Amino acid sequence: MKRDVLSALARLALALFLLMPLIPLAIWSVAHGWRFPALLPSELSLAAWSYALSPVSGVVGSLGLTFFIAAVTSVIATALAYPAGRALGRLRFPGRSVVLVLVLAPAVLPAIAVALGLQGLFLRMGWTGTIWGVVLAHLIPALPYPTLVLTAVFARFDPHHEDQARCLGARPLQVLLHVTLPAVLPGLRTGAVLAFLISWSQYLLTLSIGGGKVQTLPLLLFTFATSGRNDLTGAVAMIYVLPALAFMALLLRQRSKTAPLPNRTDR
Amino acid sequence: MRPYLMLAPLLFVLCGLFGAALGLTLMRSFRYLPAVGLTEPDLSAYTAILTAPGFLESVALSVWIAVGSALLSAALALATALALRQAFVGRGILTGLIQVGLAVPHVVGAVGILYLFSQSGAFARMAFQAGLIDGPGAFPALTNDPYAVGIMLLYVWKEMPFITLILLASLQRIGPDHEAAARSLGATPWQAFAHVLLPMLMPSLLAATALVFAFAFGAYEVPLLLGAHAPEAVAVLAWRSHTDVDLAARPEAMAMAVVIAVIAGGMLVALAQLLGKAGWGGR
Amino acid sequence: MLRILAVVLLVAAPAEAQTTDDTLLSGTWDQIVAEAEGGTVNWFMWGGSDQINRYVSDHVAKRLLADYGITLNRIGVADAVEVVNMVLAEKEAGIDTGGAVDLIWINGENFRSMRQADLAFCGYTGVLPNNVLVNWENPAIANDFGVPVDGCEVPWNTVQFGFAHDSATLPEPPRSMAELLVWIKANPGRFTYPAPPDFTGSAFVRHVFIHAAGGPENLLGPFDQSKYDEVAAKTWTILNEIEPFLWREGRTYPTTLVQMNELFANGEVAFTFNYDPSQFGLAVDAGIFPPDTRSFGLSDGTLGNTNYTLIPFNATNKAAAMVLQNLLLSPEEQLEKAKPEVWGAAPAIDILRTSAEVQAAFAALPKHPSVVAASELAAFALPELQADWLTAIEAGWRAEIGR
Repeated sequence: MKRDVLSALARLALALFLLMPLIPLAIWSVAHGWRFPALLPSELSLAAWSYALSPVSGVVGSLGLTFFIAAVTSVIATALAYPAGRALGRLRFPGRSVVLVLVLAPAVLPAIAVALGLQGLFLRMGWTGTIWGVVLAHLIPALPYPTLVLTAVFARFDPHHEDQARCLGARPLQVLLHVTLPAVLPGLRTGAVLAFLISWSQYLLTLSIGGGKVQTLPLLLFTFATSGRNDLTGAVAMIYVLPALAFMALLLRQRSKTAPLPNRTDR
Repeated sequence: MRPYLMLAPLLFVLCGLFGAALGLTLMRSFRYLPAVGLTEPDLSAYTAILTAPGFLESVALSVWIAVGSALLSAALALATALALRQAFVGRGILTGLIQVGLAVPHVVGAVGILYLFSQSGAFARMAFQAGLIDGPGAFPALTNDPYAVGIMLLYVWKEMPFITLILLASLQRIGPDHEAAARSLGATPWQAFAHVLLPMLMPSLLAATALVFAFAFGAYEVPLLLGAHAPEAVAVLAWRSHTDVDLAARPEAMAMAVVIAVIAGGMLVALAQLLGKAGWGGR
Repeated sequence: MLRILAVVLLVAAPAEAQTTDDTLLSGTWDQIVAEAEGGTVNWFMWGGSDQINRYVSDHVAKRLLADYGITLNRIGVADAVEVVNMVLAEKEAGIDTGGAVDLIWINGENFRSMRQADLAFCGYTGVLPNNVLVNWENPAIANDFGVPVDGCEVPWNTVQFGFAHDSATLPEPPRSMAELLVWIKANPGRFTYPAPPDFTGSAFVRHVFIHAAGGPENLLGPFDQSKYDEVAAKTWTILNEIEPFLWREGRTYPTTLVQMNELFANGEVAFTFNYDPSQFGLAVDAGIFPPDTRSFGLSDGTLGNTNYTLIPFNATNKAAAMVLQNLLLSPEEQLEKAKPEVWGAAPAIDILRTSAEVQAAFAALPKHPSVVAASELAAFALPELQADWLTAIEAGWRAEIGR
């Protein structure tokens, strides 16, 4: 009994810990004056929200831009990862482990190691300050995730189903649409979500390649966070987090329908 | 030929962007760039950063941040993943909350940590209202502090869910049978965990921890928001040198980036070795 | 690998574009306005103040579009040095036309860097009609931190360093540097300053430096190593003496002015300071600082400077940027941004050269209770040291104090 209470408390603490940093941000977004030692703001105000949602601040446009860049990055990364994941997961060939290390490298090597050289390269190509330049830059850290997820998915994928479908006279496109894709869809979706989130949170690569002209939300948020406007920072942070949460919730809801997490007890 | 064709688009992008960017960084760190007339590579940028006061302290601080964040996140994630295997009310909510952490960008989390743990933050206010401290100065310095406590708090908050999700996936794959078999042969719960389950979890735990190490080692925006004035994290130092208006500092910034890449790359190689030993490499 | 890269980089030289700099320098203003029409100005500026952002994006942008058909694209950055670096990187990559930046809000070390690397478009300021309102005889306008402006930038605001305190908890603050140093030792943990190279922290250290030198007279003019060594030794002694009495016993300094403002807002330290005292008023209005915040200058003087707008050498829309600069210099816009509810920034034009109505409007501007009057500060003004002194003092601070 006592153990149950303890573990329930531990779970509650975990839930609080996971939500913790978002709470003061949410409160700050409606605070006007919240100084030590007040536990709650002295005055509530929607001024920060109205500024953040006004066209002057550029937050809404920036939200759309950030979403667009992340979505395009995710689609390209997943499209490139699909054949590569299939090759790495299903086939044995010389150099496979070298390719694996190469795929993993951008996830392990910090963005700064890439950003400095990439800026010089893109400057000469005239790609800095462009949305496509930023998408290309985001591809680097985003690619490993869908590739590794799809490698694992294809390693478990049974190609006999494809063979059977072919024997029954299905054309290659039909095999892909009706057999292969449904089987690897959860992995495809997980990889796409991870690539999306990597691009969605990217700061340094956007700063160095976008050169300030491609103003994604993390850049905007950083400017407010380093200028002491906690209310604006809170409002922009909420605007930044909420769509990503909704997006994740939507996808995970779908995923839990197709591939539920284990729902059994061990004792 | 077929696997290489399937890999070609990915490798083209990886080599063309990632490889070229790393290559350029490397060239510039050796002060070799024929396009601007530098044709004699040398090591002066490396000797400059290695002898500059503060660089080694910065590297040490970044290693401290990375090791601390990775180990703490891994330990907490292991406990969380094991706890989440059991059924209880609200388990779905908790699993969902863990996924929330993935969707919150580092910058947002860092600001949240600042508002919570600074000397005038939420916890300091609670301590003051409870009569535990008599002013902000009496609250321990947890943000912008020389020991980087605030930076590690953020990474633990952000990366613990990441490792937990990877472990949950592994646990799902492993299933309960191995442990149950060990228990039926008379193993205590601890023995079953330590000798059966943990070794099976080890590859994914190591891989995830190494990723966290590498990320925390080279991240820029979090130490910029939560770090102290000195020493600075090595990525902050590198970016600062890179944006220095004195062009002479550029190769030094590149050299710092190479040092960061070498240390993080060392982790990658070590990881590949470990996983190779565990039989993961050459399927 | 390296060779292939080098070849790729050589091949990928940027495209040529025709330059119209000559027309801009020698043409009439009407020609320039005509050329500017329909263009877009990418104005890179510090973006951390919602009030300044609103003034620029709302008020200035609308006027620029309505009166001249020019689109203003305000690009907020966390620090102007990022923009200098962008232009520098473009120059290094051989991008001599069609650059990304049309206008920068800038001064001080960043201006010196742009001059040293030849990154500024120069010699055009006389073409702007509103240039006649600027008193170029004033050395504080004609020199940006000791570096001659030489027609490479256009003044926008003048500022003078001020200190802020909460009159509810500290009714009588120290009024001179000597008194302040005594106060710091008598009130442990209640004072700090941002670590240089933070702009404001660096300016505070210069106040101590000038105090240690016994006044600014010997420090004006080009950098003098022996003079520096002598005064620096005294300065580090003073700063080391107060260090144990600072916030967190001086083991950590705030890295930015914003961090110190946060400390002041929450009562952790008793003072904050700013090169632009109008920021105190904005912070009180935004609920950040306590309502009883008041500000003051030092009786031995505080540093003053001017901030400017600058067009990079490779800007794409130079004509449109010039039209914007001229608009910013106009009496109406200088008056608009001087309103405390808009921004409260002091004008960079000579008010006496404007019409009687504009002069009356300036005189009738309401004062924000938290912002020390510019005229009160101006009674005790110190000239800014040349940029080489700044660099030496910042490097010295990092070696001697901020280890």
